[in-house]
Formats: sequence, structure tokens, C-alpha cells
Amino acid sequence: MTKLILNRRKLLTTAAAGGALLASPAYLRRAHAQAGGEVNIWTYNDFVPAAFKEQFEAETGIKVNVRLVDDQGKQFSLLAAEAPNPTVDIMTVAGHRFLQFIDSDLLAPLDTDRLSNWGNINPTFSESDWATIQGNKWGAPILSGMEVLSYNTDLVSAEEAQSWQTLFSDQYAGQTAYVIQDMMSIVMLMMGYDGNMVEYLDDPEKAAAIVEEAKLFLIDNKDKVRKYYDGGAEVQQMFVNQDIALAQTWNGPGAALINDGFPLAMSIPQEGSYGFVYTFNVANNAPNMDNAYTFLNAILASPEVGAAMTKASGFISTYKGASEYLTDLEKKSTSFPDEQLANLQFFRAEANDMKYGLLDPAVEAIKAA
Amino acid sequence: MTRHNRILLSCVYWAFVAYVFIPLILMVMMGFKDSKFIGFPIKSWTLDWYTGVMGDAETLTAFGYSVAIAVLSTVVSILVGTWIAVLLEGRSFWGRAAIFGMTVLPALIPGIISAIAFRIYARLLGIEPGMGAIIWSHAVHNVPFVVLVVMARLSTLPKSQIEAARDLGADPLIAFLRITFPYLVPAIMGASIFCLLLSFDDFVRSFFLGGYEPTLPVLIFAKLKSGMSPEINAIATVALILTALIGVWAERFTRRMNKD
Amino acid sequence: MTYEATARKDSAAPASERTFWGRLSGWGPYMALATFVTASPRRQFLLLAIFPVLWVLTQHVGPMLQMLRVSLTDAYPVAPGVEQHLTIEHYLKFFQDQLFWQPFFRTLSFATVFTFCTLLLTYPVAYFLARHVSPKNRMLLLLLLLIPFWVGEIVRTFAIMILLGNTGAVNLVLKWLGLIDRPIPFMYTSFSMGVGIVYLTALYMLLPLYSALEKLPKSYNEAAADLGAGAWTRFRRVTLPLTLEGISSGCTLVFLISTGFYATPVLLGGPSTTVFAETIGGFFHVAGDQWPTGAAFAIIMFVAALLLTASFQKIMTLLRKGDTR
Repeated sequence: MTKLILNRRKLLTTAAAGGALLASPAYLRRAHAQAGGEVNIWTYNDFVPAAFKEQFEAETGIKVNVRLVDDQGKQFSLLAAEAPNPTVDIMTVAGHRFLQFIDSDLLAPLDTDRLSNWGNINPTFSESDWATIQGNKWGAPILSGMEVLSYNTDLVSAEEAQSWQTLFSDQYAGQTAYVIQDMMSIVMLMMGYDGNMVEYLDDPEKAAAIVEEAKLFLIDNKDKVRKYYDGGAEVQQMFVNQDIALAQTWNGPGAALINDGFPLAMSIPQEGSYGFVYTFNVANNAPNMDNAYTFLNAILASPEVGAAMTKASGFISTYKGASEYLTDLEKKSTSFPDEQLANLQFFRAEANDMKYGLLDPAVEAIKAA
Repeated sequence: MTRHNRILLSCVYWAFVAYVFIPLILMVMMGFKDSKFIGFPIKSWTLDWYTGVMGDAETLTAFGYSVAIAVLSTVVSILVGTWIAVLLEGRSFWGRAAIFGMTVLPALIPGIISAIAFRIYARLLGIEPGMGAIIWSHAVHNVPFVVLVVMARLSTLPKSQIEAARDLGADPLIAFLRITFPYLVPAIMGASIFCLLLSFDDFVRSFFLGGYEPTLPVLIFAKLKSGMSPEINAIATVALILTALIGVWAERFTRRMNKD
Repeated sequence: MTYEATARKDSAAPASERTFWGRLSGWGPYMALATFVTASPRRQFLLLAIFPVLWVLTQHVGPMLQMLRVSLTDAYPVAPGVEQHLTIEHYLKFFQDQLFWQPFFRTLSFATVFTFCTLLLTYPVAYFLARHVSPKNRMLLLLLLLIPFWVGEIVRTFAIMILLGNTGAVNLVLKWLGLIDRPIPFMYTSFSMGVGIVYLTALYMLLPLYSALEKLPKSYNEAAADLGAGAWTRFRRVTLPLTLEGISSGCTLVFLISTGFYATPVLLGGPSTTVFAETIGGFFHVAGDQWPTGAAFAIIMFVAALLLTASFQKIMTLLRKGDTR
């Protein structure tokens, strides 16, 4: 019964799409044969630009259902609760969390041969070492974020913002904020260790000692922090209310403040920092697998779509040429000097089991201290 | 003496009003701020956020969806909760404490855990994610609050009233409908307010049990991800006004029903 | 509408209403039903009990058992190809590691303190409404207080940040008055957290207190006054004991609700105010794959809260009995 209806709908949309065939861009022509139906997406607000969604639905007859998520952990829990028969086709996973999803068999490897627009992604992101796990690609990169030092330019100088140490200086005691988990990785980096902990996979004792050292450092400096925060909206509000002068943030929330005219600047300090990439991923056993690929290929087609995502989120587009569609202020808020970018490395997931096994109790200990 | 007390008490009341209303006033005011972030100082004002919300089908749909869920789940909670309260209050029987413990269970589980537990259990029962699943989880979660409030009221019901009714030949059902139930009405009204509020404001359960249609809190959380914008304040204000209008309408409606 | 009013209305009801009940009790199918239901006290009780028992077993205990099962497994969600084992290590983790005790006891003591604060704050308000306001305005003033509670928790919490931040409304006013030069850091302290939490709980205290005070006959107080009791004595000996039931149900509600608070303490609290819900949430939220530990900790919290509530109720019952003696 269900099948019959589906077939009929498919037939109808195919007929309707036929007329528009000549006008459609090339990426759709191959897809239209199996078009119709729907595609279900879990993503953050505005990651799928509304204008693109409308156009895509009109041209392919595929209905796009977007379910808004606000947090990686919740998305994982939800998908895990739905497995092995998820309702979702495409999710938005941060690259360094791939392993968790892969280990639980929640993601399908991405068949990049089915995406003729794969080449539109800047290879820095699509071919990076974190992107290939177990010999497969797992997601299409769309936006890139990083840990930065954000500071109120009325209160903090650009020189001071060149070092993470400023977060722990007496001068700004009670005017700083950070996410403890993120800060632990950065502190390890400050101390000259590998914050991804991949180097210590074979030496758990050393790993434990390093985490202990970083933990003690943060405990020693607990009296100087105003707030251990959790989400971008929180840290933005702290800046606006002038409760803090500087903070460790992701670049997205910082860029949004800059674009609104707030006297804020961001830097990648000299000790280095970590970056991550949001990707669109296909769920294992996705109910509308073909439509998912049609959608992915379409959304990768134009740098304008990438620019729209950047405008909405403040994160940096992974599309080649997306910055051409940004205003000067938007360009400024999403770009960093080359010498700062040289300090950046990506989060890696290989040692996550060990890392978070050590980090979670450390975080509890810092909060309890 | 009493006069002084009275003045003192009214001061406390109005101080309390100030305490609960000042954040509210700030919220409404920030909806007029011409910026993407709320907070002082306000350099320029705009009506755009409010007019935007009024014309935004997604927000208004989410509001309607949340109201429907709140009302339906409240009806279920009230029916079930009152029944359980009538069973538990003033009776002693084997297993009463156990039943009471199991009754308050859903209220004690932290939100995220209860949401995940509901989600897994829903699959076991074959409940599809969506409106029905949200109503079910809200109803179950709110039953304990109904039971506690109704039991408190029930414990003060003068036994003599029931006995008098029974003496006059009323069977237990009629005695319940004519004596006990009217006595419980204020408690049921109060419990309904709790349930409506809890459901209307719930995020985690709605998120985990919902489908692709967001309730208002789910929409607000998603929007919050890109910053606490005055738009969210405008949404909350519009929702507040609409709820108030529905409340006034419901009050009038019931009053007219009572008159007829 | 008060019970008294209903009763009055009933007695003054037109004949048609009475005949409805009369007709109902004389109606054949109803009579059959009533005879069936009331045939024996035992059957009556069984019919009353069967639905609630089934409901709590399937709807309340069911999800909880799922959680219990998760808390006793070594890994969840289960990775493919891995066998699941039963274990109690997640419970032991709590008792072996003192780290978790602090947020645990902090939550219980915060919940107790905030419950008490809410009681102190709302009792006079409820008292004023119930005793000093004419019944006509009473509903209006009560409804007035309910309005702010319809705004979602998150939006309200951010409004409190706007109120208490360094450039918040309070600091702006103080500065404008010339009382301070530099802003007072109210935010991210136990104070800002308290302001936010009492805001959330006030309603759940206010309504039970109000309904308890409202039905307290004024004549009791007048009689006590005639006997020469002062205002304080009247309150202590008459009003307070007779509203214990309202206090007890309000406190129970508020305590239960405040042990589960997550968003408000996280958003308004400071570096040293971590609550247990945040610890539990962390097992799902940050690490993501430590569901069993999170579930085990939730069960520990649940048992503790239940024990506390039960002993509180016991004390209140004893107090009430003591007073009638």
C-alpha cells in the first residue's frame, strides 16, 4: 500500500520535473529520475539556508524536513536511541566527534563518487587527516570553527591577546571565562604537550600525568575565572554585559558579536589552538539514502550557499570562493592573519576514549575544587 | 497593630510583584532593541523584531503546536492524577507506600534522563515520535504534580460531608461526583496551571520525543544557538500575549458555561 | 470558586439539576453499574485501584526500569559486535570517588535552602492575598502574579542576566543614583543563582499556600483574639498549624522540582556552584557515551530525594497530629 502511493507520487513529480528539465542546472538532471519523496535533516538553526531549501524543493520535488538541534551530545543521544532504524538521513556532526558515531555504527561512509561537487570544497578541509577514518570519508565539510581568544578591544590590547597566559593574569582576574573541557586541551598545548593526546596512546601513564598537570593549573587559577560556561550565547551575553573582558570562545559566536558592531576582536594565540569542522553526514541505514546524496550534491554546488551559512553562523565556510559573497565586515570577522593560522591544528579523535576518560573526572575535580 | 501588619504585608506583596515583573519588563523592552544581542546600553530602537515574529509562520505554528500539546497532556494528567490521588488519600492498604513512590517517580528523574528513558520506552511500546509521543511523555511526567496537589486538598475534606450524603442514600459514585469532586475543583484548577506551565516550557522531552515539527521551546533553543537575539524576546513576548488572550477567553467561556 | 460557594450554589440549584442526579440514580444501566461497583467493599476497592496500579506500573515504572537496565550495563548504546555485561561499577563509582559527593550534597542543601527561602518569601504574599484582599480582587491579584511564569525558563534566565550583569539594570540604576562608581558583580554567584531559582519555584509554593490560607475561616482568628491572643501568638498557634498541610505540599513540590534544575543553575551559577544535575547531564552531554554512569547517578539522586521527601512528609504528619492533640 505504502509502496503504491510512493510510486505514484514519484511518477507525478517526475512528470512535473520533466518540463523544468532544460532549465535545471546539471547537478539536478541526474537526480531527477529518482526525485520526489523527502529528505530528513538534523542541523543547527540556519545551517540550511532558507532560500536554498525552497529552491531545492521546487527543482527536485524532494521535501526537506529540518529538525533543529542545539547540541552535539543531544544529537548523538537521540540518534543512538533511534538506531538501528533512524528517521534521519543527514546529520550535522563536528569532525572530531566522528569516531563516537562510527564506533556505535551510526554513520554510513560517504561515497564521494556520488557527489560531483565534492571538488568545490577547499581541500584543506575535505582532504585533511582527520577527515579520513578507517580508509573512508564520513562527511561533507561545510563550516569550520576554531578555539580563539576573544577580547573586548576597549579593555584588552592586541598584544596581550597574543598569549593564552593573559586569561590567567592577575590584571584580568574575575573578568575571564572559558569552557573547561576545551580549555584543558589548550592548557596542554600551552604546556607543550599534544592536546589531542594521540602521541600518548601507547603511554597511558604519561597521558594521566599530563592531564593531572593541566588540571592542577586550572585549579590554581580558579580564583581568576568568572565563569565556566557552556554555550556560545552565554559567552556573548557575558561580553555584552561587560561581566568579562576576555574569554576562550569558538570563532562563530565571536564573529557574530563583531558583525553586530561590538568592540571585540579574536586571535589565535602564539601557543597554538585547535580547529574543528562541521560536516553533513549520512546516517547509517538512512531511510532516504538517494535523496540524501541529491541534497548533499546540491548544497555543495554554489559558494553562495556557503557564504549564506557563514553569514548565519559566523563560522568560516569550507567552500572555495565563498568569501567573495561576504561584506567587508563579515570577511574581517571570519579571517585570521596567516601567521596566526599557522598556529592552528585540528582536533583529532583517535585518542578520544583515553582523553575523555581522563578529562571528565578532571573537569569534575576542577568544578569541585 | 493589624493596620500596620496590613501595610507591611501589602509592601511585601508589591515588592514580590516587582521582583517577578522587572525581568519581564526587561524582556519586553529588549525585543525593541536594534541589535542582534540583548543587553544595555540600547543605542537605537526598532519594531522589526516584533513585526517579524507576527509575520513568521514557523514561530506561530510552533506556538499553536505547544498550546495544543499543553492542553491535551494536561487533560490526561488531571484525569489520571485525580484518580490516583483518590485511591491513595485516606486509605491504608498493602502496597500503598510503594504505589505512592512509583507515582512520584517521573517528577524526580532529571530531565535529560527522563527524556532518554521515555524515548527508549516509546520505541518499546511502538509510539512513533511526534505530537502523540510528546503528549504522552508530558502527561506521565506531570501526573505526580497533580497527585500531590489533589491529595493535599483531599486530606482536608470533612468526612462528615460524605457520610451525610451516604446517609441520604447516595451511592459512592454519586457521593464522589456531588461532594468530593466539587470540593476538589480549586485543587484541580491549580494543578492544571502547573501542568500547562510544565508542558508549555518543557524542552528536553519535547526535543527527544518530537518529530520534525518544533515546539516553541525547541525552536527557541535552536535559535539561541546563534545568539540571544532580541528576536527571542519578541517571540516570548508575543507568546505571552497570545497565552494571556487564550486564558481570558477560556475564563469568560467557562463563566458563561457556568451561567447557562 | 471556593468549595463553600459551590455548596451554596448547589443548595440553591433549580429543581432541574436535582432531577438530573435523581434521574441518573434511577436510570436502569446506571443502577446496574452502581450495584456492580458497590456490591462489596472489596470489589469497589479493586475497581478503584486497578487503573492507577496499571498506569504507574506501565507508564511510571516502565521507563525507569529501562534506565535501571542501562545503569547496570557496561556500555550503552551497545557497539555492534560487542557483548553486553551486567555490572554495578557505575554505582560504585559514585561511592568510591569523593569528587561526586560535593555536587551531590550541594544539590540537596541548595534545594533545602532555596525551598526554605521560597517559603519565607511567598508565605506573606499568600497570606496577604488570602486574608487582606477582598475576594473580588483576590483572583485578579493572584492571576497578576502568574503572568511572568508563562515566559520560558531560558528567556527569563537571560532577562535576569540583563538585570544583574555589570551593565545590567540594577548596576545602571545604582550608578545613576551615585551610590557606586564601579559595577557590583552580582552575576555568577550563589546570589544570582538564588534569584533565578526562587523565581522558578515561587509559583509552586504560592498556589498550595494560597489555597490552604484561603479556606481557613476568619472566625478562628477572631475567636483567638477574643481569648486575648496577640497577633504573633494567633499566627503561631492558629494560622500556622492549620496551614501546615499547604506548607508541606508546597515544600515537597518545590524541593522535588529544584533537585532537577539544570539550565538555571548552569546559566546563572558561578565556577563553584556545580549542581548534581549538571554532573549527570555531563555524562550525556559532554562525553556523550557514558549513559550507564549518568543513569546510575540519576538513580542515586532519585533515591536520596525520595528518602528526604518521605521523612519530611513523616515529620509534617507528626506535627499535624501533635497539634490536634
